[in-house]
Amino acid sequence: MPAPQTRPAYEAARFLGAAGLLMLALAGAETFLDPYKIQILNLIAINIILALSLNLIYGFTGMFSLGHAGFMAIGAYVCSLCVLTPAYKETMWILEPIIWPFSHMELGFFPAVIAGGICAALAGLLIALPVLRLGGDYLGIATLGFSEIIRVLITNATPITNGSLGIKGIPKFSTLWWNYGWLLFTLYFVVSLLRSNSGNVLKAIRDDQIAAKTMGINTFRQQALSFTVGAFFAGVGGALTACLISTIDPKMFSFLLTFNVLMIAVAGGLGSITGSVVAGIIITVLLEWLRIVEEEINLGFILIPGIPGMRMVIFSMALMLIIIFRREGIMGMRELAWDTPLRLWRRFAKTSAPPPPAKNFSIQEAETMPRSQAAIPGENEFILELRKAGMRFGGVTAVKDLNMSVKTGCIAGFIGPNGAGKTTVFNLISGFYKPTQGRILFQGADITGLPPHLVCKRGIARTFQNIRLFPTLSALQNVLVGFHVRQKSQWWMPGLQLPASRREYAAMREAAMRLLKRLGLDDEACEAAGSLPYGKQRRLEIARALATEPRFLLLDEPAAGMNPYETQDLMELIQDIRQDFNLTILLIEHDMKVVMGVCSNIWVLEYGICIADGPPEAIRNDPKVIEAYLGEEYMEYA
Amino acid sequence: MFDWLHSLYQTSALPGMNLSQLVQHGFNALTLGSLYGLIAIGYTMVYGILRLINFAHGDIFMLGAYFVFFTTVAFMPAGVACFFIAAAFYVIHGIVRGFRRRPPLPVLGLLLLFPVCGLYFTFLAPASFQLPWPLALITAIAAASFCGIVVDRIAYRPLRAAPRISALISAIGISFFIESLSVVLFTGLPRPVLQPDWLMTPMLLAEGSVRILPLSLVVPAITLVLVLGLLFIINRTKPGLAMRAISRDIETTRLMGVSVDKIIALTFALGSALAAASGIMWALRYPQIHPYMGITPGLKAFIAAVFGGIGSIHGAMIGGLILGAMEIIIIAVYPQLSGYRDAFAFTLLILILLFKPTGLMGAKLEDKI
Repeated sequence: MPAPQTRPAYEAARFLGAAGLLMLALAGAETFLDPYKIQILNLIAINIILALSLNLIYGFTGMFSLGHAGFMAIGAYVCSLCVLTPAYKETMWILEPIIWPFSHMELGFFPAVIAGGICAALAGLLIALPVLRLGGDYLGIATLGFSEIIRVLITNATPITNGSLGIKGIPKFSTLWWNYGWLLFTLYFVVSLLRSNSGNVLKAIRDDQIAAKTMGINTFRQQALSFTVGAFFAGVGGALTACLISTIDPKMFSFLLTFNVLMIAVAGGLGSITGSVVAGIIITVLLEWLRIVEEEINLGFILIPGIPGMRMVIFSMALMLIIIFRREGIMGMRELAWDTPLRLWRRFAKTSAPPPPAKNFSIQEAETMPRSQAAIPGENEFILELRKAGMRFGGVTAVKDLNMSVKTGCIAGFIGPNGAGKTTVFNLISGFYKPTQGRILFQGADITGLPPHLVCKRGIARTFQNIRLFPTLSALQNVLVGFHVRQKSQWWMPGLQLPASRREYAAMREAAMRLLKRLGLDDEACEAAGSLPYGKQRRLEIARALATEPRFLLLDEPAAGMNPYETQDLMELIQDIRQDFNLTILLIEHDMKVVMGVCSNIWVLEYGICIADGPPEAIRNDPKVIEAYLGEEYMEYA
Repeated sequence: MFDWLHSLYQTSALPGMNLSQLVQHGFNALTLGSLYGLIAIGYTMVYGILRLINFAHGDIFMLGAYFVFFTTVAFMPAGVACFFIAAAFYVIHGIVRGFRRRPPLPVLGLLLLFPVCGLYFTFLAPASFQLPWPLALITAIAAASFCGIVVDRIAYRPLRAAPRISALISAIGISFFIESLSVVLFTGLPRPVLQPDWLMTPMLLAEGSVRILPLSLVVPAITLVLVLGLLFIINRTKPGLAMRAISRDIETTRLMGVSVDKIIALTFALGSALAAASGIMWALRYPQIHPYMGITPGLKAFIAAVFGGIGSIHGAMIGGLILGAMEIIIIAVYPQLSGYRDAFAFTLLILILLFKPTGLMGAKLEDKI
């Protein structure tokens, strides 16, 4: 469900109120609690920061990263080197003297933490550029390898890091105030980012990378950004840890540390911010509380010996149980909102309270969208031209010597038996494959070999044969992702809640709602796309494609799986949107009624070769087409 | 122009190396490579079938070393051994004949006999009773492959339908579980391993100028035998055929009436047996064992599997040999770099993934649009 759109002033007041309450609580804790309990409170704050940063990388962007210990180590070492006095450093480095400039560096605590975060972010960027191309578990292993490399480097770079002896006597700057201050900032930044369209984009990449690319998203860039931001906060967490426990050494930053953070993020629910917060509190407290199993217990009459190492046994068992029996964690992908207790109470009391409104915003009366301009005079007659385009996969020629010119403003069709290479042509046009021969021209410009997101930016949108929506995103969010390509705000702007980006997002929501209404999906705006019925998913995919403001729309079997009534509606829809949005449409379809009904020009493909093209009547009577595809039966039917 | 090459040569240990050292380094490389290769095969088999990095594989390697420690050095070996032999027997029987079916009487007798012997050895005769070497090895390997099956059963099978990443997190969880449980059971202290004398007496070749350990010959030989045996099982037997089928398409194989879960269990058993064999030989080569000893060799062997092309058994072995050789050569030539030893493999991994993600012999997997 999309977050309810509330007034900024109200939201800010709520945030300030919560911050004030937290400050009161901190002041109380500082006065009344003993140092041990304060230490636990500090650990909670740091663990939540770390879990949030991992959740941003993994839970929201879908990149499985096991490199957190490495980023933390960088943050911790940089921060420690910055805050220690030169004189102290001179006496500490006994194996080998510390080298310039590290020996003379001295910074205050706040800039030192920032420096730690920035160095970790740079390292994150450095590792992201090469390894983000890898998917899933390979990425996990590569980042794990990276964090091991960092550890080896730290152990061996004695003149900088004091080697395996580590650094001792780091001033304990991390007070409750600093830690919770950083926690608030992290929360504020991450929440604001994820509630904006940047959040929708990241989640879209998590759900379906290929579809995200066709929506004009530079997935690589977005992933790298998310990874870098995550690494920054991990570095900050490491820096705060160093100044909290005052001793660091390379052994501390082993895989076990990453495991702890992963555990919190998974237990809280990947993709849930409040989940990370709740799990951060629970697990940190439990970890401390579990220390009793490692100490001996005196029950008065019997002495139970403590079992060293038992804590980790219970801990890893807990992770296994969570992942096997409750994979989605405490919160799943849901969030605790301010009104959650109220809703729970309602459910508990079983009052017949009215269901929460499906839509949280007002829409102006439906008006057709006068967005697109009339055809520009002097524009090319042909919007898309393929010149001898071809594609070979190894020894298989999927498409060969295909020449086609699609007239601006028409609806064109693409037919042919299964495996004829129709979808391959779509993939060539939309940039997923680079043609092995020939050229593709769009509006007179060469787009051969352009990556999908740039093709989308030029004004080509597409749908997929087997629907590729972002299933966990709502219908509205799916459409909003489409708007991303024309969006002006930079990715970091929403993180700081700049007014311009807020206004833009509000406008985009309005436009997205209008688009949904236009396609008859406004009642489902807040439902998860994956739970919509089939026909509506097809419509939503078209709506999402239209959101990128295309000039040219590729529809891959839009009528597949539809009943005759739905097909009839679809035909009308296709003709209407061509009119309203001033589009050129190229569609692949097996339903001859659709193809013959709406297309003004048809290409027939067989074994990757175009065997005929022309208006429907000519195709219907072409003997070659009848033999290859339509068949004698169709003749009788026609 | 080639000054830097020359200075590279000058700073290395090459100028001062003699033939004997070269031969020794060669054998060390071969030994280490064989050990990596054996572990890598287990990774590659499981990955080929389940598309899952079995993080616990390195811990099975560790368990293998511990089991052989218990069966040769420590207390109550025979009792533990008997339990494990019985359990392994039961599981293998179950895989071949079906768990529901009652084993025939002689088998049942054996199954009952072993625990009785186990009880006897454990509680009535807990003296320092040592198993003879061959029996100790077989027991340890059987025990480790049993553990492999258990890992699959409790950590992976419930998650077959789940997203791959969930299974991966589960793998990390079970790996930590085994390690921390081993710390509790075996304590975290490193333990010495008994090395038979005949393996450790250096042989003199070429009139005494070259000294090599018999162990450096035995390890590659055993590795060769094990790999050939595995290849025979995979390529010439019916369960092997089923394994290959599952790696292509698990659902279709299920529809063909193959009991997929059993074949997967068998895969885990075989992979774990090889890892245990490797762990045992590792413990003979570097005679100190501790609960975390499996992590680094495990990760490196995974890198070897990726290098060779994940899913390919030949590839895993070749990758292991190359990785082992590289490590030994770099350290032999540049002893001053030995502190960075563990970083080489990971750097190699990142390079492979960048330039040839399919590895040497791997097949390309692509997302269908």
